[in-house]
This record gives sequence, structure tokens and C-alpha cells, in this order.
Amino acid sequence: MEYRIEVKDLNVYFDELHILKNVSLKIHKNMVTALIGPSGCGKSTFIRTLNRMNDLIDTFKMDGDVLLDGKDIYDPKVDVVELRKRVGMVFQKPNPFPKSIFDNVAYGLKVHGITDNEVITEKVEESLKSAALWDEVKNILDKSAMGLSGGQQQRLCIARTIAVEPEVILMDEPCSALDPISTTKIEDLIHKLKKDYTIIIVTHNMQQATRVSKHTAFFLHGEIIENGPTDKIFIEPCDKRTEDYITGRFG
Amino acid sequence: MENRPTRVRFRKKLKELRDDVERMGITTLKSYRKAMEAFKSYDEDLVNEVFDYSDELDKFNYNLEHKAMSIIAAEQPVAKDLRFIEASLKVSSHYNRIGGLASNIAEVARQIKDEKIPEKPMKVITHMSDIVESMISKSISSFVNQDMGIARGLHRDDDKVDDLFDTALKDITKSMFEEKDAIYYMVYLLFVARFLERIADRSESIGDRTIFMITCEKPM
Repeated sequence: MEYRIEVKDLNVYFDELHILKNVSLKIHKNMVTALIGPSGCGKSTFIRTLNRMNDLIDTFKMDGDVLLDGKDIYDPKVDVVELRKRVGMVFQKPNPFPKSIFDNVAYGLKVHGITDNEVITEKVEESLKSAALWDEVKNILDKSAMGLSGGQQQRLCIARTIAVEPEVILMDEPCSALDPISTTKIEDLIHKLKKDYTIIIVTHNMQQATRVSKHTAFFLHGEIIENGPTDKIFIEPCDKRTEDYITGRFG
Repeated sequence: MENRPTRVRFRKKLKELRDDVERMGITTLKSYRKAMEAFKSYDEDLVNEVFDYSDELDKFNYNLEHKAMSIIAAEQPVAKDLRFIEASLKVSSHYNRIGGLASNIAEVARQIKDEKIPEKPMKVITHMSDIVESMISKSISSFVNQDMGIARGLHRDDDKVDDLFDTALKDITKSMFEEKDAIYYMVYLLFVARFLERIADRSESIGDRTIFMITCEKPM
């Protein structure tokens, strides 16, 4: 089994608060991994550790190893901008730039030094097609992204993420602000994208975890209580705490 | 982790489902007892009661399926809750089928009401029917109380019933050769032995579903 990411004995602190406690997890290549657990259990902190988003917080401290393709992403020599190109992120609330649809997708390409307009145009179209948005926006590419619906904005954010060809896509509750139809579109998209990308999704929707992921990790109080094949976790969990959480036995 | 109760309505629905399965099991047991009573000493009222129970079990089964589907749609159960609902559906279908087999026995009772059954095959069938009755009772208890020990014990009981069925087959066939005029009702006796063996299988399967529900493993 090939792993894209390996996290070993990760501890994360914000000031004195010990947020993640000895977390170890291997993320399979080209597979969807779901992270579940109650609010405040450390799921979002965990994924933000994978592209060093937590570095932006002054009080952040960590120890342990986070390896991407076997290399430590916290090595001082690592270029963080380059890392975030390789490990893209989609947030809970769609956050398009107040620019045109075209510019939203082209933005990342330009930041990473692509200047050839023909290449950019080609890449924008390809990304919008991959994000299953092209047919809906191909005639309004110069219109503001802010005029799109929530579901379209979220797919635009996914298009923006995949335009720079990351290896990993982190999704932090990408459907929690969307209606069921838009959610279905995003889930279909996740299934399509997993062929080319390694996807890690944080979700509070148990059924979504079962629908989209092959592997699931259950977090509680900053620890991984159980991780394994999604079917196993949702039909026959090993740990009582997992069972209690997924069946809603504690609030 | 907080201990205050959560998903109270969901828990209530699951309890109702469990109570329904228990009620179905008890109705099945009553139906079976009446059928065997009618077989041993014929009474038309008993036979009609068995048929009524069969209709009742059919309705029970349909309503339980309906309830289970609405719980799945509304509550989206997982893990042991999902396994419990799946097992309830299977167990309900087994009880419905046992009710059908009890009707078959009652029908046979009607067909052979005027015949005098020879002692030997009657003894084997009576022995079988006693074990089968306890198996239905144990199946209810194993499922409702999630008791693995009782569920496992049903395998041993089923083996005993299988052995008795083989004996009944030999005895009845022998009687057929000895008394050719009796072939007509002897065939019916064979049917009854077969129905009892099928009921034992169904009861054993309920035990197996119980084990699967608890352990998620296929019983050996």
C-alpha cells in the first residue's frame, strides 16, 4: 500500500493547550480519507498541520513528524508556498476572490509563475471541467465569482485548488454550507477527483463519510481513537467510543 | 464525553421495533402450539385460529418492514443500530414463515383428522415438536435479550431435530410398506415431520442473525 502522507507521533499545542496528542496516521495515495469526530476534537487542526496553515498562528507549537512522499514538511528548507501548491485546501465556506470566475482559477497559476496566456486559458478550462463547473460558467467567465450560487462557488474553489495540480486536497467540511443538490455534486466530484488526487475530508455528516471515503479516522479529545476502512468503522467499530459517537449516543 | 441521553426519539423507535419483534415471536409460538394441539387432537376452531395467526403475522411483518424503512430513512442508523434493524427485518421474516409452516401443519391436521396415527411415528413427531417448541421460545429470548449462549444452543437443538427427522423418515417409510392402506395419511405425517424440521431451521437462523447482530461474524 502506497502512502502519500505519514504522520508520526504528532503533538500540537496552542499556547499551553495540548490540541493533538500523539497522533499517528497514514494517508493512502489516491484515496479519500474522512476525518470524523465531535467539534473541538482536533480534526481541523490536524488537516491544517498538513499544509502548515497553523504556522500562521503565533501560539502554534508542534512536535512529531509529518511526511509528504517521505519528506518532512516541517524541514526548515521547505518552501511553504510550494508546499501549499502540493497540498491544496478547500474550506467550509466557499471563499472565492472578488474577481471574475476566470481570474479566480487563473490566480494560483499566476502566483506560481505561469505567464503564457494560452497555457493559463487552457488550464482554467481544464480545471473548471474537472470541477464539473465548466458547462455552467463557460459563457460568463468574465463575470464576478460572487454572483455564483454557494454550490457553484465551492466548485469554483475546488477548480482553483486543482488548477495548480496539487497532490493532496484537504477539504474542511466542504458541504456544510451547501444544499443537498450542491452537496451531491461535490460528492460526485470527490469520487471523480480521487483518481488523480489524495483527498482528506473533514465532515460532520456520517453518511457523507460513508458515501465518499474509503478510509476513516475518528478523533476525540485530540487523539485518534480508531482508524480503518470506512465500512468497518460504520458497521462494526472496534472501540465503544467510536460506536457511541457515530450512533449519536453522546452529544 | 457527556452522559445526557441523546437521540431519544430514535432510541424509542428502536425499542418499539424490538417490542414488535418480541410480540411477533410470541404470536408465532402461540400459533405453533395451537397447530400442534390440532394435530394431536383435532379441533376445527384451533385450525382456524392458526390461520388467523398466520394472517396476523403477515401484517406484523409488513408493518415491521415499513417501520424499519422509515427509521432507516429518518435516522440513518449505523453500526450496532443498523445491524439491529437489519436483524429485526430478517427475524420478522423468519417468524412470518414459521407462521406459514404452522398453518401447513394445521391444514394437515384437518386432512387426517379421522385417522388413527400409529404410536411409533407419532412418538417421534411428538418428540420433534417438543424440541421445536423450545427452539421457537429460545429464538425469541436470544434475539430480545441479545443472548449469544442461547443463540448458540439453537445449533445443538437443530442437530437433534435433524436426527429425529431421519428417524421419522425411516419409521414412516417402514409403516407405509407394512400397511399399504395407510400410505395416504403417512405421506401427511412425512409432511409434518418436514414442516417441523423447517421450523427448527428457521429458529436456528434467528439465533444466527442474533450472533451476527452482536458480533458481525457469520456463525460457524
